[in-house]
Amino acid sequence: MRKKKIITYLAALGFILILNFLLPRLLPGDPFMAIYGEEAALSLSEAAKEELRAKMNLDKSLIAQFKVYLLTLAKGDLGYSYALNQPVRTVISKVLPWTLLLVGSALILSTLIGLILGIESGWRRGTRADRWILLTVVGLSALPNFLIGILLLLFFAVQLGWFPLGGAVTPYSGFTGTAYLLDVFKHLFLPLLALTLAQVPRSYLLTRASVLGNLSYPYVRTAAAKGLKPLQIRYKHVGRNSLLPISASLGVSVGSALAGSLFIEIVFSYPGMGSLIHQAIAQRDYPLLQGILLVIALTVILANLATDILASKIDPRIRKE
Amino acid sequence: MRKKSFLLAVALFLGLSLLLGGCSQKQASDKTTGQKDDYVVYTVADSNGDWGFPSPWGHYQRGPGYLRMSFIFDTLIWKDEQGFVPALASEWQYDQENKSYIFTLRDDVFWHDGQKLTVDDVIFTWEYMQEHTYPWVDLSYIENIEAKENNQIEIKLKTEYAPFLANVAGTLPIIPKHIWQNVTEPEKFTEPEAAIGSGPFKYVDYNKEHGTYLYQANENYYNGQVRVDQLKFIKLNPQMTVAALQKGEVQAAAIQPEMAEQLNTTLQVLTETGSSNVKLMFNHRQDPLNNKEFRQALAYALDREELVAKAVRGFGLAGHPWLYTPDSFWYNPNVEQYEYDPQKTAEILTKLGYQRDPSTESAYWFKDNKQLQLGLLCDANLIRAAEIIKEQLAKVGIAIEIKSVETQSRDARILAWDFDLALNSHGGLGGDPELLNRFFLDEAFNSARFQANRELVSLIQQQATIMEEEARKELVDEIQTILAEEVAALTLYYPQAFWAHNGQVPLFYTKGGIAGGIPLPLNKLSFIES
Amino acid sequence: MVDYQAKKEFLASFLASKEIILGGCLAIILAASFLILPWLLKGDPYQTSLNIFTPPNKEYLLGTNDVGQDILAGLLLGGQNSLKVAVGVGILSTCLAVGFGVLAALVGGRLDTFIMRMIDIILVIPNIFIIILVSAYLKPSLGLEIILISLLTWLGGARVIRAQVLSLKERTHVYAAILFGANLAYIFFRHILPELIPLVLSIFLQGARRAIFMEAALGFLGIVDPNVISWGTMINQSLNFFYLDVWRWWLLPTAGALSLSLISLTLIGRGLEETFISNSERRSKIATDQ
Repeated sequence: MRKKKIITYLAALGFILILNFLLPRLLPGDPFMAIYGEEAALSLSEAAKEELRAKMNLDKSLIAQFKVYLLTLAKGDLGYSYALNQPVRTVISKVLPWTLLLVGSALILSTLIGLILGIESGWRRGTRADRWILLTVVGLSALPNFLIGILLLLFFAVQLGWFPLGGAVTPYSGFTGTAYLLDVFKHLFLPLLALTLAQVPRSYLLTRASVLGNLSYPYVRTAAAKGLKPLQIRYKHVGRNSLLPISASLGVSVGSALAGSLFIEIVFSYPGMGSLIHQAIAQRDYPLLQGILLVIALTVILANLATDILASKIDPRIRKE
Repeated sequence: MRKKSFLLAVALFLGLSLLLGGCSQKQASDKTTGQKDDYVVYTVADSNGDWGFPSPWGHYQRGPGYLRMSFIFDTLIWKDEQGFVPALASEWQYDQENKSYIFTLRDDVFWHDGQKLTVDDVIFTWEYMQEHTYPWVDLSYIENIEAKENNQIEIKLKTEYAPFLANVAGTLPIIPKHIWQNVTEPEKFTEPEAAIGSGPFKYVDYNKEHGTYLYQANENYYNGQVRVDQLKFIKLNPQMTVAALQKGEVQAAAIQPEMAEQLNTTLQVLTETGSSNVKLMFNHRQDPLNNKEFRQALAYALDREELVAKAVRGFGLAGHPWLYTPDSFWYNPNVEQYEYDPQKTAEILTKLGYQRDPSTESAYWFKDNKQLQLGLLCDANLIRAAEIIKEQLAKVGIAIEIKSVETQSRDARILAWDFDLALNSHGGLGGDPELLNRFFLDEAFNSARFQANRELVSLIQQQATIMEEEARKELVDEIQTILAEEVAALTLYYPQAFWAHNGQVPLFYTKGGIAGGIPLPLNKLSFIES
Repeated sequence: MVDYQAKKEFLASFLASKEIILGGCLAIILAASFLILPWLLKGDPYQTSLNIFTPPNKEYLLGTNDVGQDILAGLLLGGQNSLKVAVGVGILSTCLAVGFGVLAALVGGRLDTFIMRMIDIILVIPNIFIIILVSAYLKPSLGLEIILISLLTWLGGARVIRAQVLSLKERTHVYAAILFGANLAYIFFRHILPELIPLVLSIFLQGARRAIFMEAALGFLGIVDPNVISWGTMINQSLNFFYLDVWRWWLLPTAGALSLSLISLTLIGRGLEETFISNSERRSKIATDQ
């Protein structure tokens, strides 16, 4: 079972690589510009362009080109952003921590909130409280994440002025220690809230559904008969069992949170991967765009892999399968 | 147990990301010194952020790029509200007989690294720029530069050159010899030493990704006390400007016209019209735009008044076909004005062999079974103007395809002649008529590069060498007549610019623009207490 | 005639769900206004005018934007475009999902394995990233957008369909039909398709909802054909002027229309699932929903 999963992930990586490779080469138009970006096509000298063409085998067969493409990637070379005049790897490594901070904290928060809401609401299924929570969360899940971001930004940062208008830190504030952390937190708060709100429905709906399933199991009745307090039953027994589906789908959650952060970062000018994608699109900086998507794909695949390992540790049933 | 290790992992993860995220910033914040109580930080915001490394060869070739450099590098002379004032040179005079300028250099000027600035540095700058062109200054009129006694320099000209003070002495940044003498590729020299100058601010940091600059006041500035301790340039979404100004996150920024009324009373507003323009550029190297009659037909089809009303919501002046505004000394009223006249467009197009099916209102012109269609290149700032031009030209039967790209790539495409029509904007209209060279002949992305009319080229080159104003004006009038006839480029409108600031630093619009004519209120002199 | 009772029950339970009724009404009202109102109001969303930033009045019910274009007309045309994309993607992705799902389940064997593995592989990467990458190169028109989004949204649906068909196959009457050598098409249309209807509807809604979201998201990112009016581009443009009052009649109505459309489809989808789809299926669907 584990082997099959690993093959799937490798194949997914291969799929992205092939897509990245074929897109610029097969589309109509100048492949040089589609591979190296507009800045390179406009500003490099003919000789420099010729050198790049030769290096990437652009006048040879697709297979020969693919070979060079893979070999370059294998060396850890993600290409060069001519618009930013820096290797793509350097550019990405500078912004990746911000995205990880935002996505990581949003995942933790939204999972916790979704879990608690889901358990409480599932426990009270059919009551007015359950219906209201369900309706609110379903309504929330229908809102596009960038709209949530825009509304939060307009209200809390622009109208009320409680939070900074964008960015991840005050530029050149000179803050150190606690003041610096506080500054980071102030900038993180609204994007984090937006992304968390956008992610809560997933874990909530998942938990609620699994709680509903669990409630009918005999162990709940046994526990109740043993005289355990409802709070204990809810969180120790039902809650723990509901953790399984959530942790099993953590890989997908990472993907969906990354996708959400893309838009949230743009709204809040948060200097992470999302803002970088936006910039790469505007400047037709294709090497950067491809590099970012490759890194995101890798992150998602690794998250999936980690989830599978984690899930098999927690739930012995999976290991046996 | 499991819960604990989970929490631990979470905490570790958060800590790690904070640390990593902090790293990129830490470097910069380490450099800021311990702060006193009355430490004044002044932040200027703009929507682009990145204007290149602030050295003469590192900065991007547009006004804001030059300005960021000008805070660090001083010139021989400079401009204030009224006119030229001393900078590195305390005195200067023109010797008409020898066609030479004599500058007396101050002897109390030090580079930011503590070395003394000498006549050698000035001569080195000139020699270095012979080899490595600095696009902002045309040195071709200079015969040679010589050191004289008493800290004097004599700059001998080949011919008389009217715009010398504004465009050479007042624009050319003086660079330190001891740093640049071994630099062979100045464009790639972006170490911190490359930003050692003699100006009122010292370079601390520049961040390309975030589009931020950090400068520190030069405490030993020869020209007076610097009003602020730290100067920051940051990138800001333009729609956030009001909020940022009112919260005090930013002290000065360009604002949208409608924002001026919304600002609270503690903020001051500066406004200015006529020193910058938005113009339509033609690729006159290819058919059909190489035909002057065709360009005239386009000029008649564009309603510039409507363009002002819609594209800049009335905040601006309709363009006069050639650059100058009516209140300029150099303006010539007796040239073809190309009043809106779609009838004329139709006549000219018919004459040029285009056909149109009169039975349908919206039909486009045809020639050789091909529809008359042109691409219009623009950037996001001018997209609305482009849409209205498309609408106006569609009305007279010319189809337009808008291509909106980033500012930098628009400029690069114009330079590579990779366009039909292009919308571009630039300042400098208040400066010396040398701008005729700059915006019609020079190889630059905001220049029409119009060499087709030999007579025009020689007239433009000639006018710069005439020192006598009336005679020069006559020539400039004649040039305007030919330019209007040729429609080398078409000025569409002069947008009204607005800036808001908190009054801490008395910002002002420089007469004729900063240096060669940059129409922004960021003159370094306003940062200096005199 | 045999099915008459079943159909009646189906309809009855359909109408018993408040969510379906609420969402359905909302969807019908929205779709109808996008289709009918432009006829009644006759505003041209492209025509610029000198009435810039006009607050809502009799002539311009939602005022005008920065170049004097009628915002309501733009909103309605944006709605039409969203509707086109939603219906287009809904139909196309449902067809793909049903086609591949049923094919995999009925044919089985290697084809089944192959299809399912392909789906597994493509589903690993959140499809919005793939759509962004392709759109950045193509700046797709509406038609291309429909194809692109459909190609990446049928996958989850195919999985659910396959599972359902597999369980149907086990039922006696289908099993008997297979045993008696009835051809696959006959089995499909006679015995399987009717049972799949709630599921197909739910997949259709899911596709439509994702399509509306994607269309707005791509517009927001600025990677669609710039000549097509889209809610995403309208929201993006309105943000440039939110320091003025215009956002009240430019940003809010557009955001509202977008949210209402999405909410209506979500409600119907939820209702359908509550009524017709078992709990475990629903859970697996949530888990894979990106």
